[in-house]
Amino acid sequence: MYYLQLLINGLVAGSVYALFAVGLTLVYGVFRFINFAHGELITWGAYGVLLFMAPPLGLSLGWALVPACLLAVALGLACDRLVYQPLRQSDRVTLLIASIGLSFFLRSALQFIFGADLTSYPLGLARGFSWGELSITGVQLAMVACAVIFLGGLFLLLTRTRLGKALRAVSDNPELAGIMGLPLKQVGWTVWGLASLFAAAGGILLGMDTSLDPFMGLANLIKAFAAVLLGGAGNVWGALLGGLFIGVAENLSVAVLSPGYKDFVAFAVIVVILLLRPQGIFALAGSGGVR
Amino acid sequence: MDYLLRILILALIYVILSGSLNLQLGYGGLYNFGHVAFFAIGAYTSALLSLAGVPVWMAMIAALLAAGLAGFLIAFPALRLSGDFFGIATLAFAEMARIFLLNERWLTRGPLGLPGIPRPTFTGQGVGALPLFALFTLALAAAVLLLLRYLESAPFGRALKVVREDEHVAQALGKDVLWLKVRAMACGALLAGLAGALWAHYVTYISPHDFTLETTILVLLCVVLGGKGTVWGPVLGAVLVVVFQEVLRFLPLPAQYSRFIAPVQGMVFGLVLIVLMLRRPQGILPEHRS
Amino acid sequence: MKRFATSVCAALLAVALCAVPALAGGEVLVGAITPLSGKISVYGEGFMRAMQLAQDEVNAAGGIKGKPMKILFEDNGSTAQGSVSAIQKLITVHKLPVIFGPAASSNFLAVCPIAQRNKVVLIGAESAAASISKCGSYVFRVFPSDLLQGKGVAQLAKGLGYDQVVLTYVNNDWGVGLAEVFSKDYQAAGGKIVDQFPHAAGASDYRSELLRIKKAGVKAVVNLTYIKEAATMLKQAYQMGLKVQWLMGSASKSPKMVQLAGKAAEGVIGTYPVVSQDTPQYRVYKAAWQKKYPGKKLPIFGEYNYDMVKLTAKALNLATAYNADAIRQALIKASQGYIGVTGDKSFDANGDVKATYGRWTVKNGKIVDYK
Repeated sequence: MYYLQLLINGLVAGSVYALFAVGLTLVYGVFRFINFAHGELITWGAYGVLLFMAPPLGLSLGWALVPACLLAVALGLACDRLVYQPLRQSDRVTLLIASIGLSFFLRSALQFIFGADLTSYPLGLARGFSWGELSITGVQLAMVACAVIFLGGLFLLLTRTRLGKALRAVSDNPELAGIMGLPLKQVGWTVWGLASLFAAAGGILLGMDTSLDPFMGLANLIKAFAAVLLGGAGNVWGALLGGLFIGVAENLSVAVLSPGYKDFVAFAVIVVILLLRPQGIFALAGSGGVR
Repeated sequence: MDYLLRILILALIYVILSGSLNLQLGYGGLYNFGHVAFFAIGAYTSALLSLAGVPVWMAMIAALLAAGLAGFLIAFPALRLSGDFFGIATLAFAEMARIFLLNERWLTRGPLGLPGIPRPTFTGQGVGALPLFALFTLALAAAVLLLLRYLESAPFGRALKVVREDEHVAQALGKDVLWLKVRAMACGALLAGLAGALWAHYVTYISPHDFTLETTILVLLCVVLGGKGTVWGPVLGAVLVVVFQEVLRFLPLPAQYSRFIAPVQGMVFGLVLIVLMLRRPQGILPEHRS
Repeated sequence: MKRFATSVCAALLAVALCAVPALAGGEVLVGAITPLSGKISVYGEGFMRAMQLAQDEVNAAGGIKGKPMKILFEDNGSTAQGSVSAIQKLITVHKLPVIFGPAASSNFLAVCPIAQRNKVVLIGAESAAASISKCGSYVFRVFPSDLLQGKGVAQLAKGLGYDQVVLTYVNNDWGVGLAEVFSKDYQAAGGKIVDQFPHAAGASDYRSELLRIKKAGVKAVVNLTYIKEAATMLKQAYQMGLKVQWLMGSASKSPKMVQLAGKAAEGVIGTYPVVSQDTPQYRVYKAAWQKKYPGKKLPIFGEYNYDMVKLTAKALNLATAYNADAIRQALIKASQGYIGVTGDKSFDANGDVKATYGRWTVKNGKIVDYK
């Protein structure tokens, strides 16, 4: 029973990691760089809710959710327009350093506004649902549901719409896609919009589940990285499975390691994958594609 | 006067730290984003040994050897990765090290940290005994800079720069690329360990919270801002960063505003990194191309 | 390059000279390392106000040998590292012979070797860790050592009939120290600790730890932790349907904890060093506070800070000179039989004070004494 509960906790956590990882890998697939500032989209999405709930707007939690997501999307697009687009032709390390700087800037700006302390949403206290020894809370169910809906939506987008197919083509081969006249700009916006939306949604759910702090984005970014690398950078379904794997592995590890080593698992996965199979478990020939 | 000495000592430690990163990043093109791990290994080794009664100078030597060894061991597996993935791997390694330091209480006292670290006997133990410690740090920093200057023009340094520019050319010229990179990593790590040991004996209290990603970002900023690939670039970067940090702390702000100092520092540093990458990725001091 | 370097140095010098405050010849300075920013800044504000209240009263009564007393507050950012910088600044730049130490045992323990080595008097008002007693001859505290609280918690557990417990504690000097003392006393009294483990301070998710408690299947859990951590654990335990009797220490006894945890805090029992609110000293303190800060609640440990400043002022008046050794002697003498707001502050050989421990519980959303 103990292990089953850990598995449930793991799948819940994994769904959110999958959301983050998919966003990160979409950006990598199309733009070919590791966006270190992705974590801050998570944090700003979560804190965005507080921003809209505070005066002068004073919205209730429910009404503040959509504006918060929109804020994150705007932020993601702004980052691209102001920082990443001018660097499109630079090498990957320059982009990585710029994204590290951006992440530092956004995290500090958030601390400037909200302080460095732990905060939480003004939610009431409710007992979870239980079956015998197992329990799960409403928010945890929402996390899984949200991941299913968003990722399901993404699947439809990628396979059924023209934009989605264009996205896949661009991530396969950006030069050729440009020559073929595919709408690169729209694809770019879509990717940033989706990545930011997924990040913000995940961040808000995490905030509802536990609490918010300025470092929550960075902490989850590492898990997203691990998932992306596990699944093969650029591979959306790899990222999804990678996210679930990391979530489950983390939570099961508590049974053998001390809880203080929980975060260690994601890092260890990163190191092991990079050393043994850098292209990821699900890499296909000519990897880097969004399949 | 004493406050100036404190800033000087901090700046000199950062000079050593950024010089060591520059050896890997600037000369060798190795984007090591886990540099703080070597800093931490140096600090903890020297602190633990000197708290156990080992004379400080011996503890410091052990510290730089331990850090150098870590750099050497990390190099072999990590160097098979390219550019940004190498950066991610080293970053992950540094965080793993920090989590280890945080959890293994029997060894490091975990989050409780190590208080009461002694100063070297010849510099005096009191908090106010700064002048001798400052001289000691200055001597070490000067030695490190001389070493880096020598390496830059020595065959090792020149070969390293060829590797940085184009590995294939280097290989065609008969250079053992992997061995060169490993030596760069080990040497850089060793010097970072020295900086760590110095720092531990200066502040007299360390804990895992001092060795986070933020420190790596700061050192990266020093190197990239000042001008990577040169000897004086990281020195300039270190001085600018440390002075800026301390000046901000000195501002006569009323107490209730002191919580804004750290975020403002962070925003400025982040912006500087971004602007640098956008406008002048080579940093302030350009490298001479021979 | 050279000109640039010289101008940087000149600028630095200018800033340094401006920033070192002119040591007004007419004031008696005492340093204070206070968490004015960072994780415990919300308490730091209260400490500062309580100290300032005491300082005003001291000065109204004639100050220190005719000169006004001035407390120099230095922010430590709520961290141990910040405390170290703060004390180094207070000692080297301001050359102060007596300093009020920072809150939180870990922060205090980081600076007490520095104080002892540099022969500076260090006094603490909220630091409970037992190991502080060994800090040295220049270190004092008006807050009782956890050596006594550990016994109290053990007696509580045994007295309520719990022969088996799980022990968890926050992973810092205070938690580790108190857990050690509790564990020794509890096992000596015949109790059995089925499982014990530390938990991280400031984490947002303790469900792994709570699952471990659930697995152990005990009826009572001794949880030695702080306010936010306690609230998070109680809330998540409630959500998980984990029903145990929580036995806590003094650090989680706070209306804020109850506010954060809501109904999940109901029924928690704990120990704390008793400060009677019925004494004339307490009533005077309360009235003075309400006069100076109308509308502000009495801060946690405010009474201890107040006593610390008042006692130090008495010592400074007795001291033969404004240096650490003289102040130290005077402090020991002044404390004998000194009844402050928080009771008898006589320092023993280790610079510690005594206390009696009472029990608290949460009933109907309020913290009351447990009978």
